[in-house]
Amino acid sequence: MSEYRAVILTTNQLEAIGLRELLRNVFDIDAYIGDKFFFKSLNVNNEPSFFFIDQSTFVGNLSFFLPRKAKTVVLNKEDIDEMNTLRTSACENELIDMLSRLLRTGKKEENTSTALSSREIEVLRLIASGHINKEIAQELNISVNTVLTHRKNLTAKLGIKSVSGLSFYAMMNGIV
Amino acid sequence: MALINKDTKLSEIILHEPSTITVLDRFGIAMGVGDATVAHACDTRHIDVNFFTAILNTYINENYFPQEVLAQFSAPQIVDYLSKTNDYYEKNVLPNIERHFAFLIGKAPSHNNNLIIMKQFFDEVKNELHHRIIDDRERWFPEICNSGQEINLTPQPSLEDTNDTIEDKIDDLINMLVVHLKGDYDHNLGYAVIVAVFSLKKDIKQNNRIRNRFLRPISNAMK
Repeated sequence: MSEYRAVILTTNQLEAIGLRELLRNVFDIDAYIGDKFFFKSLNVNNEPSFFFIDQSTFVGNLSFFLPRKAKTVVLNKEDIDEMNTLRTSACENELIDMLSRLLRTGKKEENTSTALSSREIEVLRLIASGHINKEIAQELNISVNTVLTHRKNLTAKLGIKSVSGLSFYAMMNGIV
Repeated sequence: MALINKDTKLSEIILHEPSTITVLDRFGIAMGVGDATVAHACDTRHIDVNFFTAILNTYINENYFPQEVLAQFSAPQIVDYLSKTNDYYEKNVLPNIERHFAFLIGKAPSHNNNLIIMKQFFDEVKNELHHRIIDDRERWFPEICNSGQEINLTPQPSLEDTNDTIEDKIDDLINMLVVHLKGDYDHNLGYAVIVAVFSLKKDIKQNNRIRNRFLRPISNAMK
Protein backbone atom coordinates (compact mmCIF):
# COMPACT_ATOMS: atom_id res chain seq x y z
CA MET A 1 0.00 0.00 0.00
CA SER A 2 1.17 3.54 -0.73
CA GLU A 3 2.75 5.49 2.11
CA TYR A 4 1.19 8.69 0.73
CA ARG A 5 -2.43 9.73 1.15
CA ALA A 6 -4.22 12.48 -0.68
CA VAL A 7 -7.60 14.02 -0.02
CA ILE A 8 -9.59 15.74 -2.76
CA LEU A 9 -11.98 18.52 -1.76
CA THR A 10 -13.93 19.98 -4.64
CA THR A 11 -17.57 20.56 -5.49
CA ASN A 12 -16.97 19.18 -9.00
CA GLN A 13 -17.55 15.47 -8.41
CA LEU A 14 -16.56 14.39 -11.90
CA GLU A 15 -13.24 16.23 -11.54
CA ALA A 16 -12.75 14.65 -8.11
CA ILE A 17 -13.40 11.10 -9.37
CA GLY A 18 -11.06 11.58 -12.35
CA LEU A 19 -8.26 12.96 -10.18
CA ARG A 20 -8.72 10.20 -7.61
CA GLU A 21 -8.31 7.51 -10.27
CA LEU A 22 -5.28 9.28 -11.76
CA LEU A 23 -3.56 9.55 -8.37
CA ARG A 24 -4.32 5.92 -7.53
CA ASN A 25 -3.52 4.29 -10.83
CA VAL A 26 -0.68 6.40 -12.18
CA PHE A 27 1.02 7.63 -8.98
CA ASP A 28 0.15 4.85 -6.53
CA ILE A 29 -1.20 7.35 -4.02
CA ASP A 30 -3.97 6.37 -1.63
CA ALA A 31 -6.39 9.10 -2.76
CA TYR A 32 -9.93 9.66 -1.51
CA ILE A 33 -12.65 12.27 -1.91
CA GLY A 34 -13.36 14.24 1.27
CA ASP A 35 -16.92 15.17 2.24
CA LYS A 36 -18.35 18.20 4.03
CA PHE A 37 -17.38 16.72 7.41
CA PHE A 38 -13.73 16.49 6.42
CA PHE A 39 -12.44 19.30 8.66
CA LYS A 40 -14.44 18.08 11.66
CA SER A 41 -13.16 14.54 11.36
CA LEU A 42 -9.54 15.46 10.54
CA ASN A 43 -6.99 13.94 12.90
CA VAL A 44 -4.12 16.43 13.04
CA ASN A 45 -1.70 13.68 14.03
CA ASN A 46 -2.52 11.70 10.93
CA GLU A 47 -3.03 14.27 8.20
CA PRO A 48 -3.03 13.36 4.50
CA SER A 49 0.23 13.89 2.64
CA PHE A 50 -1.51 16.07 0.03
CA PHE A 51 -4.61 18.26 -0.21
CA PHE A 52 -6.16 18.76 -3.65
CA ILE A 53 -8.75 21.52 -3.29
CA ASP A 54 -10.84 23.81 -5.44
CA GLN A 55 -10.53 27.57 -5.21
CA SER A 56 -13.62 28.09 -3.04
CA THR A 57 -12.39 25.54 -0.48
CA PHE A 58 -9.00 27.28 -0.47
CA VAL A 59 -10.46 30.77 0.02
CA GLY A 60 -12.94 29.57 2.66
CA ASN A 61 -10.20 27.87 4.73
CA LEU A 62 -7.13 30.07 4.28
CA SER A 63 -6.00 29.72 7.89
CA PHE A 64 -5.92 25.95 7.46
CA PHE A 65 -4.26 25.72 4.05
CA LEU A 66 -1.65 28.51 4.19
CA PRO A 67 0.48 26.75 6.84
CA ARG A 68 0.16 23.62 4.67
CA LYS A 69 1.05 25.39 1.45
CA ALA A 70 3.76 22.89 0.49
CA LYS A 71 1.35 19.99 0.42
CA THR A 72 -1.69 21.81 -0.94
CA VAL A 73 -2.59 21.88 -4.62
CA VAL A 74 -5.35 24.18 -5.85
CA LEU A 75 -7.44 22.94 -8.78
CA ASN A 76 -8.02 25.89 -11.07
CA LYS A 77 -8.22 26.79 -14.74
CA GLU A 78 -5.36 29.31 -14.37
CA ASP A 79 -2.22 29.41 -12.22
CA ILE A 80 -2.57 31.11 -8.83
CA ASP A 81 0.41 33.15 -7.59
CA GLU A 82 2.49 31.56 -4.84
CA MET A 83 0.34 28.44 -4.71
CA ASN A 84 0.80 24.99 -6.23
CA THR A 85 -1.82 24.94 -8.95
CA LEU A 86 -3.08 22.09 -11.09
CA ARG A 87 -4.49 23.62 -14.27
CA THR A 88 -7.64 21.59 -14.84
CA SER A 89 -7.97 22.82 -18.43
CA ALA A 90 -4.63 21.22 -19.44
CA CYS A 91 -4.47 18.17 -21.73
CA GLU A 92 -3.81 14.68 -20.30
CA ASN A 93 -0.03 14.59 -20.77
CA GLU A 94 0.40 18.06 -19.35
CA LEU A 95 -1.74 17.13 -16.36
CA ILE A 96 0.43 14.09 -15.63
CA ASP A 97 3.62 16.18 -15.95
CA MET A 98 2.26 18.84 -13.62
CA LEU A 99 1.14 16.23 -11.10
CA SER A 100 4.53 14.48 -11.17
CA ARG A 101 6.25 17.78 -10.44
CA LEU A 102 3.86 18.80 -7.67
CA LEU A 103 3.98 15.40 -5.97
CA ARG A 104 7.77 15.27 -6.13
CA THR A 105 8.06 18.63 -4.38
CA GLY A 106 5.45 17.67 -1.79
CA LYS A 107 7.13 14.35 -1.01
CA LYS A 108 10.48 16.08 -0.50
CA GLU A 109 8.82 18.52 1.88
CA GLU A 110 7.20 15.70 3.82
CA ASN A 111 10.43 13.72 4.05
CA THR A 112 12.32 16.59 5.61
CA SER A 113 9.77 16.74 8.42
CA THR A 114 10.92 13.32 9.66
CA ALA A 115 13.70 14.94 11.72
CA LEU A 116 13.05 14.54 15.44
CA SER A 117 12.17 17.62 17.48
CA SER A 118 14.13 18.33 20.64
CA ARG A 119 11.13 17.26 22.76
CA GLU A 120 10.87 13.97 20.87
CA ILE A 121 14.58 13.35 21.45
CA GLU A 122 14.05 13.92 25.19
CA VAL A 123 11.15 11.46 25.21
CA LEU A 124 13.24 8.96 23.25
CA ARG A 125 16.12 9.31 25.72
CA LEU A 126 13.78 8.58 28.63
CA ILE A 127 12.16 5.60 26.84
CA ALA A 128 15.61 4.19 26.17
CA SER A 129 16.53 4.68 29.83
CA GLY A 130 13.64 2.43 30.80
CA HIS A 131 11.09 5.04 31.92
CA ILE A 132 7.39 4.29 31.56
CA ASN A 133 4.94 6.88 30.16
CA LYS A 134 3.87 8.14 33.59
CA GLU A 135 7.48 8.68 34.66
CA ILE A 136 8.29 10.48 31.39
CA ALA A 137 5.28 12.77 31.93
CA GLN A 138 6.48 13.60 35.47
CA GLU A 139 10.06 14.12 34.39
CA LEU A 140 9.14 16.50 31.56
CA ASN A 141 6.19 18.06 33.37
CA ILE A 142 3.74 17.20 30.59
CA SER A 143 0.57 15.07 30.49
CA VAL A 144 0.61 11.33 29.74
CA ASN A 145 -1.46 12.08 26.61
CA THR A 146 1.27 14.40 25.35
CA VAL A 147 3.83 11.65 25.99
CA LEU A 148 1.66 9.27 23.94
CA THR A 149 1.51 11.81 21.10
CA HIS A 150 5.33 12.12 21.13
CA ARG A 151 5.63 8.33 21.07
CA LYS A 152 3.25 8.10 18.11
CA ASN A 153 5.31 10.74 16.29
CA LEU A 154 8.53 8.86 17.04
CA THR A 155 7.06 5.68 15.58
CA ALA A 156 5.75 7.54 12.53
CA LYS A 157 9.06 9.31 11.88
CA LEU A 158 11.44 6.42 12.59
CA GLY A 159 9.23 3.48 11.59
CA ILE A 160 10.15 1.80 14.90
CA LYS A 161 7.39 0.51 17.18
CA SER A 162 8.90 -1.47 20.03
CA VAL A 163 10.60 -0.06 23.12
CA SER A 164 13.64 -2.25 22.37
CA GLY A 165 13.84 -0.93 18.81
CA LEU A 166 13.62 2.67 20.01
CA SER A 167 16.28 1.99 22.66
CA PHE A 168 18.70 0.50 20.15
CA TYR A 169 18.03 3.42 17.79
CA ALA A 170 18.86 5.82 20.63
CA MET A 171 22.11 3.92 21.31
CA MET A 172 23.07 4.04 17.63
CA ASN A 173 22.54 7.77 17.49
CA GLY A 174 24.26 8.68 20.76
CA ILE A 175 21.00 9.78 22.44
CA VAL A 176 21.77 7.57 25.44
CA MET B 1 -0.46 -18.85 -7.90
CA ALA B 2 -3.76 -20.73 -8.02
CA LEU B 3 -4.57 -22.73 -4.89
CA ILE B 4 -2.50 -25.86 -4.52
CA ASN B 5 -4.41 -29.13 -4.80
CA LYS B 6 -3.43 -32.81 -4.76
CA ASP B 7 -2.65 -32.79 -8.49
CA THR B 8 -0.25 -29.83 -8.35
CA LYS B 9 3.38 -30.73 -9.04
CA LEU B 10 5.81 -30.04 -6.19
CA SER B 11 8.29 -28.52 -8.66
CA GLU B 12 5.65 -25.96 -9.76
CA ILE B 13 5.08 -24.95 -6.14
CA ILE B 14 8.79 -24.47 -5.43
CA LEU B 15 9.51 -22.67 -8.69
CA HIS B 16 6.63 -20.29 -8.10
CA GLU B 17 7.33 -19.71 -4.39
CA PRO B 18 10.89 -20.76 -3.45
CA SER B 19 10.32 -20.02 0.25
CA THR B 20 8.09 -23.14 0.39
CA ILE B 21 11.26 -25.27 0.28
CA THR B 22 11.55 -24.80 4.02
CA VAL B 23 7.90 -25.74 4.59
CA LEU B 24 8.25 -28.88 2.46
CA ASP B 25 11.35 -29.75 4.48
CA ARG B 26 9.16 -29.84 7.63
CA PHE B 27 7.20 -32.63 5.94
CA GLY B 28 10.39 -34.52 5.05
CA ILE B 29 10.43 -33.42 1.41
CA ALA B 30 13.80 -32.22 0.10
CA MET B 31 14.79 -30.78 -3.27
CA GLY B 32 15.08 -33.11 -6.24
CA VAL B 33 11.32 -33.59 -6.32
CA GLY B 34 11.19 -34.77 -9.95
CA ASP B 35 7.70 -34.54 -11.37
CA ALA B 36 5.96 -35.85 -8.24
CA THR B 37 2.54 -34.43 -7.51
CA VAL B 38 1.34 -33.42 -4.06
CA ALA B 39 -0.80 -36.59 -3.85
CA HIS B 40 2.13 -38.85 -4.76
CA ALA B 41 4.55 -37.18 -2.32
CA CYS B 42 2.01 -37.37 0.51
CA ASP B 43 1.10 -40.96 -0.26
CA THR B 44 4.68 -42.23 -0.17
CA ARG B 45 5.40 -40.38 3.09
CA HIS B 46 2.06 -41.10 4.80
CA ILE B 47 1.20 -37.41 5.04
CA ASP B 48 -2.42 -36.24 5.27
CA VAL B 49 -2.82 -34.63 1.85
CA ASN B 50 -5.57 -32.24 2.99
CA PHE B 51 -3.46 -31.00 5.87
CA PHE B 52 -0.45 -30.61 3.61
CA THR B 53 -2.32 -28.53 1.02
CA ALA B 54 -4.03 -26.42 3.71
CA ILE B 55 -0.67 -25.55 5.30
CA LEU B 56 0.96 -24.73 1.96
CA ASN B 57 -1.95 -22.62 0.76
CA THR B 58 -2.03 -20.75 4.07
CA TYR B 59 1.71 -20.16 3.79
CA ILE B 60 1.67 -18.92 0.22
CA ASN B 61 -1.49 -16.82 0.20
CA GLU B 62 -1.75 -14.22 2.91
CA ASN B 63 -5.48 -13.85 2.43
CA TYR B 64 -6.17 -17.57 2.50
CA PHE B 65 -7.17 -18.84 5.90
CA PRO B 66 -9.56 -21.78 5.59
CA GLN B 67 -11.18 -21.84 9.07
CA GLU B 68 -13.54 -24.63 8.09
CA VAL B 69 -10.80 -26.70 6.44
CA LEU B 70 -8.38 -26.30 9.34
CA ALA B 71 -11.17 -27.23 11.75
CA GLN B 72 -11.05 -30.78 10.29
CA PHE B 73 -7.56 -31.35 11.62
CA SER B 74 -6.62 -32.42 15.12
CA ALA B 75 -4.74 -30.09 17.43
CA PRO B 76 -1.86 -32.62 17.80
CA GLN B 77 -1.47 -32.56 14.00
CA ILE B 78 -1.05 -28.77 14.07
CA VAL B 79 1.19 -28.96 17.15
CA ASP B 80 3.41 -31.40 15.29
CA TYR B 81 3.75 -29.02 12.35
CA LEU B 82 4.44 -26.03 14.60
CA SER B 83 7.04 -28.06 16.58
CA LYS B 84 8.87 -28.77 13.34
CA THR B 85 8.62 -25.07 12.50
CA ASN B 86 10.19 -24.21 15.88
CA ASP B 87 12.98 -26.74 15.23
CA TYR B 88 13.60 -25.09 11.88
CA TYR B 89 13.96 -21.67 13.56
CA GLU B 90 16.27 -23.02 16.26
CA LYS B 91 18.48 -25.22 14.12
CA ASN B 92 18.56 -23.32 10.84
CA VAL B 93 17.23 -19.79 10.70
CA LEU B 94 18.61 -18.25 13.90
CA PRO B 95 22.12 -19.76 13.55
CA ASN B 96 22.08 -18.71 9.89
CA ILE B 97 21.33 -15.07 10.72
CA GLU B 98 23.97 -15.18 13.46
CA ARG B 99 26.52 -16.45 10.97
CA HIS B 100 25.65 -13.69 8.51
CA PHE B 101 25.95 -11.07 11.26
CA ALA B 102 29.33 -12.47 12.37
CA PHE B 103 30.65 -12.15 8.80
CA LEU B 104 29.15 -8.68 8.40
CA ILE B 105 30.78 -7.40 11.60
CA GLY B 106 34.06 -9.27 11.04
CA LYS B 107 34.50 -8.07 7.47
CA ALA B 108 33.55 -4.41 8.02
CA PRO B 109 36.33 -2.23 6.56
CA SER B 110 36.53 -0.26 9.81
CA HIS B 111 35.09 -0.67 13.29
CA ASN B 112 31.36 -0.03 12.94
CA ASN B 113 29.61 0.21 16.29
CA ASN B 114 26.20 0.39 14.61
CA LEU B 115 26.59 -3.15 13.32
CA ILE B 116 27.32 -4.36 16.83
CA ILE B 117 24.23 -2.58 18.17
CA MET B 118 22.12 -4.18 15.38
CA LYS B 119 23.52 -7.57 16.38
CA GLN B 120 22.60 -6.89 20.03
CA PHE B 121 19.05 -6.09 18.93
CA PHE B 122 18.95 -9.32 16.94
CA ASP B 123 20.20 -11.21 20.04
CA GLU B 124 17.25 -9.82 21.99
CA VAL B 125 14.81 -10.98 19.29
CA LYS B 126 16.52 -14.36 19.18
CA ASN B 127 16.31 -14.80 22.97
CA GLU B 128 12.62 -13.90 22.97
CA LEU B 129 11.90 -16.36 20.20
CA HIS B 130 13.99 -18.98 21.98
CA HIS B 131 11.97 -18.53 25.20
CA ARG B 132 8.73 -18.87 23.25
CA ILE B 133 9.98 -22.09 21.68
CA ILE B 134 10.92 -23.53 25.09
CA ASP B 135 7.51 -22.59 26.47
CA ASP B 136 5.82 -24.22 23.45
CA ARG B 137 7.85 -27.39 23.87
CA GLU B 138 7.70 -27.76 27.63
CA ARG B 139 4.30 -26.36 28.53
CA TRP B 140 1.87 -25.22 25.83
CA PHE B 141 2.08 -27.99 23.25
CA PRO B 142 2.05 -30.87 25.83
CA GLU B 143 -0.88 -29.18 27.58
CA ILE B 144 -2.86 -29.26 24.33
CA CYS B 145 -1.81 -32.78 23.30
CA ASN B 146 -2.23 -34.37 26.73
CA SER B 147 -5.60 -32.86 27.51
CA GLY B 148 -7.20 -36.20 26.66
CA GLN B 149 -10.12 -34.41 25.12
CA GLU B 150 -11.41 -35.24 21.70
CA ILE B 151 -10.72 -31.95 20.01
CA ASN B 152 -13.31 -31.18 17.46
CA LEU B 153 -13.90 -27.53 17.98
CA THR B 154 -14.57 -24.94 15.37
CA PRO B 155 -11.89 -22.32 15.78
CA GLN B 156 -13.16 -18.91 16.76
CA PRO B 157 -12.44 -16.37 14.10
CA SER B 158 -10.41 -13.55 15.45
CA LEU B 159 -10.79 -10.15 13.85
CA GLU B 160 -7.14 -9.34 14.24
CA ASP B 161 -4.11 -11.44 14.89
CA THR B 162 -2.69 -11.06 18.36
CA ASN B 163 -0.18 -8.27 18.46
CA ASP B 164 2.96 -10.31 18.68
CA THR B 165 5.96 -8.51 20.11
CA ILE B 166 8.37 -10.81 18.28
CA GLU B 167 6.86 -9.75 14.96
CA ASP B 168 7.04 -6.09 16.01
CA LYS B 169 10.69 -6.43 16.95
CA ILE B 170 11.59 -8.20 13.72
CA ASP B 171 9.84 -5.40 11.81
CA ASP B 172 11.87 -2.87 13.79
CA LEU B 173 15.11 -4.74 13.15
CA ILE B 174 14.38 -4.74 9.41
CA ASN B 175 13.51 -1.07 9.51
CA MET B 176 16.71 -0.21 11.36
CA LEU B 177 18.80 -2.15 8.88
CA VAL B 178 17.06 -0.71 5.83
CA VAL B 179 16.55 2.89 6.96
CA HIS B 180 18.92 3.70 9.79
CA LEU B 181 22.12 1.70 9.18
CA LYS B 182 25.19 3.93 9.02
CA GLY B 183 28.92 3.56 8.62
CA ASP B 184 31.11 1.28 6.53
CA TYR B 185 30.08 -2.30 5.87
CA ASP B 186 30.35 -4.92 3.15
CA HIS B 187 27.17 -4.45 1.10
CA ASN B 188 26.96 -8.07 -0.02
CA LEU B 189 27.16 -9.34 3.54
CA GLY B 190 24.59 -6.71 4.56
CA TYR B 191 22.17 -8.05 1.93
CA ALA B 192 22.67 -11.58 3.28
CA VAL B 193 21.62 -10.43 6.75
CA ILE B 194 18.56 -8.52 5.56
CA VAL B 195 17.37 -11.32 3.26
CA ALA B 196 17.69 -13.85 6.10
CA VAL B 197 15.77 -11.58 8.51
CA PHE B 198 13.04 -10.97 5.89
CA SER B 199 12.71 -14.70 5.42
CA LEU B 200 12.34 -15.22 9.20
CA LYS B 201 9.74 -12.47 9.30
CA LYS B 202 7.66 -14.03 6.55
CA ASP B 203 7.78 -17.48 8.14
CA ILE B 204 6.90 -16.23 11.62
CA LYS B 205 4.07 -14.09 10.30
CA GLN B 206 2.49 -16.95 8.38
CA ASN B 207 2.87 -19.42 11.23
CA ASN B 208 1.58 -16.95 13.82
CA ARG B 209 -1.68 -16.95 11.88
CA ILE B 210 -1.97 -20.68 12.52
CA ARG B 211 -0.91 -20.28 16.18
CA ASN B 212 -3.11 -17.31 17.01
CA ARG B 213 -6.19 -18.02 14.98
CA PHE B 214 -6.46 -21.76 15.27
CA LEU B 215 -4.40 -23.26 18.07
CA ARG B 216 -4.92 -20.48 20.63
CA PRO B 217 -8.74 -20.53 20.48
CA ILE B 218 -8.63 -24.32 20.92
CA SER B 219 -6.27 -23.97 23.85
CA ASN B 220 -8.47 -21.28 25.40
CA ALA B 221 -11.56 -23.44 24.96
CA MET B 222 -9.89 -26.23 26.96
CA LYS B 223 -9.51 -24.04 30.04
